[in-house]
Amino acid sequence: MTKWLVVFFSLFLMSFNAFAQALVEPKSIEFGKKDAPRVLHIHSSIDLASFGPLIKGFVKRYPDIRVSYTDINTSELYQQTIKESAHPQASLVISSAMGLQIKLVNDGYAQTYHSYETDHLPSYAQWRHQVFAFSLEPVVMLVNKNRYPGPLPKDRQDVLQTIRQYSDFMKGRIGTYDIRQSGVGYLLASQDARQADTTWGRLIEAFGSHQVKTYCCTHEIIDDVASGKLVLGYNLLGSYAAQRVKEDTRLKMILPKDYTLMVMRVGLIPKKAPNVDDAGLFLDYLLTNSVQRRMQTETLMFPIQPDVMTKHTLDILGKSGPQRVVELDQQLLVGRDYAKQRRFIKSWEEALEIPH
Amino acid sequence: MWQKFLRRQKPNKGELVSESTPSLRRRFIIGGIIIISVIAALAINFVFEYSQRLADISYDRLLRSALLQMDENIGLIHNEVTIDIPWSAFATLAQANDDRVFYKVVSSSQGFITGYRDLNITPPNPPQLDKIQFFDRQYSGEMVRFAWLERHLTEPESTGTVRIIIGQTRLSREELSSSVTERAVEVVLMIALVAVALIVIGSQLVLRPLHRISRVLEERQPGDLTPIDIKTPKETYHLKMVINHFMARLQTNLEQLENYTADAAHQLRTPLASLRALAENARDKTSPERQQEALENIVTQCDSLSQTVTLLLNQAVVSHRMQTNPKEPVDLLVPVTASCREQAITALHKGVSLSLEADVERAMVFGDAFALQQMMQNLIENAVRYSNLGAEQATEVVVRVEEFSNYYRVSVIDYGAGIPEEEKKRVFERFYRGRYDTAGSGVGLAMVKDIIDHHTANITILDTQPKGTTFQIDIAKYQSSNDSGSLL
Repeated sequence: MTKWLVVFFSLFLMSFNAFAQALVEPKSIEFGKKDAPRVLHIHSSIDLASFGPLIKGFVKRYPDIRVSYTDINTSELYQQTIKESAHPQASLVISSAMGLQIKLVNDGYAQTYHSYETDHLPSYAQWRHQVFAFSLEPVVMLVNKNRYPGPLPKDRQDVLQTIRQYSDFMKGRIGTYDIRQSGVGYLLASQDARQADTTWGRLIEAFGSHQVKTYCCTHEIIDDVASGKLVLGYNLLGSYAAQRVKEDTRLKMILPKDYTLMVMRVGLIPKKAPNVDDAGLFLDYLLTNSVQRRMQTETLMFPIQPDVMTKHTLDILGKSGPQRVVELDQQLLVGRDYAKQRRFIKSWEEALEIPH
Repeated sequence: MWQKFLRRQKPNKGELVSESTPSLRRRFIIGGIIIISVIAALAINFVFEYSQRLADISYDRLLRSALLQMDENIGLIHNEVTIDIPWSAFATLAQANDDRVFYKVVSSSQGFITGYRDLNITPPNPPQLDKIQFFDRQYSGEMVRFAWLERHLTEPESTGTVRIIIGQTRLSREELSSSVTERAVEVVLMIALVAVALIVIGSQLVLRPLHRISRVLEERQPGDLTPIDIKTPKETYHLKMVINHFMARLQTNLEQLENYTADAAHQLRTPLASLRALAENARDKTSPERQQEALENIVTQCDSLSQTVTLLLNQAVVSHRMQTNPKEPVDLLVPVTASCREQAITALHKGVSLSLEADVERAMVFGDAFALQQMMQNLIENAVRYSNLGAEQATEVVVRVEEFSNYYRVSVIDYGAGIPEEEKKRVFERFYRGRYDTAGSGVGLAMVKDIIDHHTANITILDTQPKGTTFQIDIAKYQSSNDSGSLL
């Protein structure tokens, strides 16, 4: 047990180091006019490739506001928000790690916000009027069509089959999130375990015996799949995958037919945040129909509003299996339970044969 | 005269109403509103508490279910107590849409297992193993409903206890209870409003007959004292009767007054005319002796007139007293003795001795002492006067008081000329005078009869043996312990 505590403590320290680094070298990017009178600080885990165009649209619509955007990994984002809770730097915290966002709200770090847009969100897309979803996207598998051995998989069973059949080839050629580093990775893994415990067990075992590679971030997995270093990326956010598939013919995005997890990107305003008005304005902006539509036409993200879906989006989602929407409510707290998390990560590490 | 009296009374009455007495209707409405408000407040208070309890009962079930699901998933892994919280436990709690969830699991051997480290609360009642307690506590800036359970670990290798605390903020509870309360309050307020409206309308309806009666009275000619004959509800019948009765009494009084005035005028006219005749006679007499004699006659006539006036005045006083003074227990002997004493000297001057024979110590009757004394005085005066009439002078008048089982008998006995049988019936008529050759107004016995009637007594005129008249009065005894019915 002590050994585990040590492991945990070091993990904790690691994330702290990363957090400290982030503070030392803030990777913040500025949008809008330098001399704009108002500044909106956004801390977000969303890649700039997806979010940049939307922020540009925002500062164009509101020239008085300058947006300072800081891209932070989901776990660090969570830690930092708690750390800064007395004097938050960010006016808006956006993450796809729904569990961590819900925990921030439950533990009282977020403030309530009401507007026409947020009040008209579907009930599953907000909680307590403190955390709001603006995107609902499928969790997908990404394969390199050229390199993938055998027929392309349609579901998780197919993946297992391929791994068994091409055991040697598949070694070191599967990539997924490191659930210790990535909040969204943890969320997806825990939801997999929740949805289909046996399949998950087999999958993680097969991953473990074939030296699965773990990553902190989606785009690195996609890069490696595209380059052929990997043939399969498991549990990737659909929007990133879709973006790259559009440009790269080697890649194919697969929505698992057995079940397709649907996750949200959610934003919250920290309790003592500065410039709350503009943070709200930005949230409302993300929820307007025009922006929701634009997310799709430019393949940036999937919308949260079902009634603005374009044909293309509907086509993609039409290929999904039964959709399992990860609901934005108290259930996510179970995933963040201290004991459960410890046990889950431990069994994940053991399965993946990661030395600790 | 009575018109003036009425006119003066009317504005006084108006002032009285507007100044001090509150409106019956307003009092009725205010009282009703107060009572209804109190009832409504009690009902709302009850509903408020009830809805609060109701919300707690329903949401405590969720909390209990979550707690039990958690409890079921406590187990030992590598000799370490741990919990695998089922997703469904929190799915249960998620039914309270927007409520935050806090929990903590600790074991006696390992201490903190999972949850919120700083959630250190103790239940209000002494902790009892295996018993779930629910209670409210402030936590993380909000009021939170907690379920608390501590139990023994049942696994063979484990010892000690494990404690589960799970809490949920009260948003959904408040929402449920306020929606219940809101509806109930709406209903209560509506009922209260309807009730108040009914009171307002009802008071108007109830009081309308009274307004009608008062309007009828107001619109009357000042002299109109006829009974009210408008149709009003049963409840006002008594009031109407009382008013009518009162008006009848007023009418009688007025009639009496008119009669009295007329009679008095009539009565005074005769002596005045005779006075005038005497005076003319005196003027025409030439010899001083005759003139002297005529003047003597005038003086006598003036005395008689003065007596009549006194009598009239006394009668007015007695009649007024009988109208206004309530009867009270009096000792009949007192007015009887007093009047005998007063008349004794006058009688002696006229050569009549007056004696009182009373065989009782006290004779309590229910009546008016002054009126009784006036009555006795009149009877005695009468007796003395009649003793002097006739051929031979009678020398004795006896007043006798006797006690019988239910009544006292007072007799005034003279031995004078007596009253002829046919006149006995008429002596009590006002201004009837048997004989005009004596001073006397003829008012006295009429007044006696009034007083007798006022006291519900009996008067009988008997002949005295061998001659003379006896006035015999029977008046009921006053029995303080018995009800007054026996007096009548």
